[in-house]
Amino acid sequence: MADEAKREELLKRLADGVWKFEEEEVVAAANEVLAANLDAYDAIINGLAKGMEEAGRLWEEEEYFVPELLLCADALYAGLDILRPHVKIEDKAKSKGVVVIGTVQGDVHDIGKNLVKMMFEVAGFEVHDLGKDVELEKFVEEQLKTNAALVCLSAMMTTSMLGMERVIKMIRERNPNVRIMIGGAPVTQEIVSKFGADATADNASNALKEALRMVSSLRTMQ
Amino acid sequence: MRQKALNLLQGKRDSEFLCFSGMGNVTTEGMKATGIRFAQAHTDAGKMAKLAATSFRLFGFQSAVVPFDVAIEAELLGCPINFYTEVDPQEILYPTVKEKTISSAAGIRIPSDLANAGRVPMVRQALSLLKSDVGGEIPIGTYIMGPFTVAGQTMELDHLLKLCLKKPEEVSEILGIYSSLIVELAKSYFAAGADYITIREMGACSDVLRPTLFRSLVEPHLKDIFRKSAGPLVLHICGKSNGIIDSMNGCGASALSVDQKNDLRQTRESIGKAPVVLGNFDPYNVLVRGTPQDVRRAVAHCIEDGVDAVWPGCDIWPTAPRENMEALMAAVAAGRRERK
Repeated sequence: MADEAKREELLKRLADGVWKFEEEEVVAAANEVLAANLDAYDAIINGLAKGMEEAGRLWEEEEYFVPELLLCADALYAGLDILRPHVKIEDKAKSKGVVVIGTVQGDVHDIGKNLVKMMFEVAGFEVHDLGKDVELEKFVEEQLKTNAALVCLSAMMTTSMLGMERVIKMIRERNPNVRIMIGGAPVTQEIVSKFGADATADNASNALKEALRMVSSLRTMQ
Repeated sequence: MRQKALNLLQGKRDSEFLCFSGMGNVTTEGMKATGIRFAQAHTDAGKMAKLAATSFRLFGFQSAVVPFDVAIEAELLGCPINFYTEVDPQEILYPTVKEKTISSAAGIRIPSDLANAGRVPMVRQALSLLKSDVGGEIPIGTYIMGPFTVAGQTMELDHLLKLCLKKPEEVSEILGIYSSLIVELAKSYFAAGADYITIREMGACSDVLRPTLFRSLVEPHLKDIFRKSAGPLVLHICGKSNGIIDSMNGCGASALSVDQKNDLRQTRESIGKAPVVLGNFDPYNVLVRGTPQDVRRAVAHCIEDGVDAVWPGCDIWPTAPRENMEALMAAVAAGRRERK
């Protein structure tokens, strides 16, 4: 009972530290999780990720914008760096698989991608980040090499998004089962259908929403 | 046509609607007509000017604008640029900043002879060539990235955005330096023949920055730019802009340019009928992907909602088909009747 009260307190401190971007508070709480021998995976999912959910809600309500989300991400990563090495082997086996992510050639905007990547990492995916301005063939090569179940293509500019169609075709030709997610400001559902991708996110907000939904459903499945 | 556009930028309206832009508007049709490959046009004044004139020559588009990419300022400041000269000519890839080389105000080096630095002389020459070629008929425009956008192009963007909250005074110092650069570039371009210049501050849109942060951090520097520059300057901010339209209007630009994410009726409610507002035609979803009927409908919508001239909300994506470009110009010309 005392342990459960301690757990709840620390989970709340982790969550609050994340959405209030109080990095030092997150570090302190994460270290106390370890000192109290609490479950690291539980602290990540129900503490750090829950804090990011709150940040996502504030984003949707237009209280938080990109700078705030980035500082929340820093706070989350500060906690993740401490807790992740202590995730038990059986929890690591819960990994949802491999994701390849990158920003397409002609585009050097990667903040949205980095936020989405972070949420996949929190959710337990193994993420291979190709970076920004990625040649389209590289997505195909990396998907084949890692046998990734999901490929995320990001393009924030209209001028760079049309290359996505070609890369989606190339990936599909080699592996019809891979799921492909597109994110970025100019992408709309209609374009997703045209390109043959599986999911869309109209902007970083929706990409984050989808990633958050994934995290939420993961938490529900525990 | 040229004088009507310049009159409009001075706030003088008449019954005729115009369709022009402050941003790139070249098409693959223009590339075919001239034999100029897109990747070649960014570093050659003659090709740039020739290509820029094609939207007027082929479709009657009512301006010619150079350059076509958004990397001039970052290149001036020392960032390597990828021009994608090796890619398939069928690919349309705009030059991008390959590496961000600035991490603080102390690291910024402004070239001493700005008019002859980087690709500035090329842009100036292209402006001069356009002036001689089509400048008697249509206005010649150019654009410069706004200070916050230049900051985001030259610094790691996540670092810049975090600094906005952690050390806003440091960001303000950087924006001040870049604003001076912009004022000097504007002088140089006006001297070379530009009739109007668009300050493109898309990095500071409300999809990224909280409106209060825009007001406290970016607006003062934009005001500074517009106050110190002679000649017509347009302020363009794309994305969600209704939350900052009051601030945009207060910056002192000759006109405001917005894109399809701006609710123009709401904009008019916020700032009234007097400010010159250009927009908010969707250059991709309508002009590239729509039908001529979609184009006509969208133009009518822009005019009904209160634009003073139909401007694409961003660069025209070059694969805009001929029939849609033709529909665009015809629809705007027909807009005169609706105005009455």
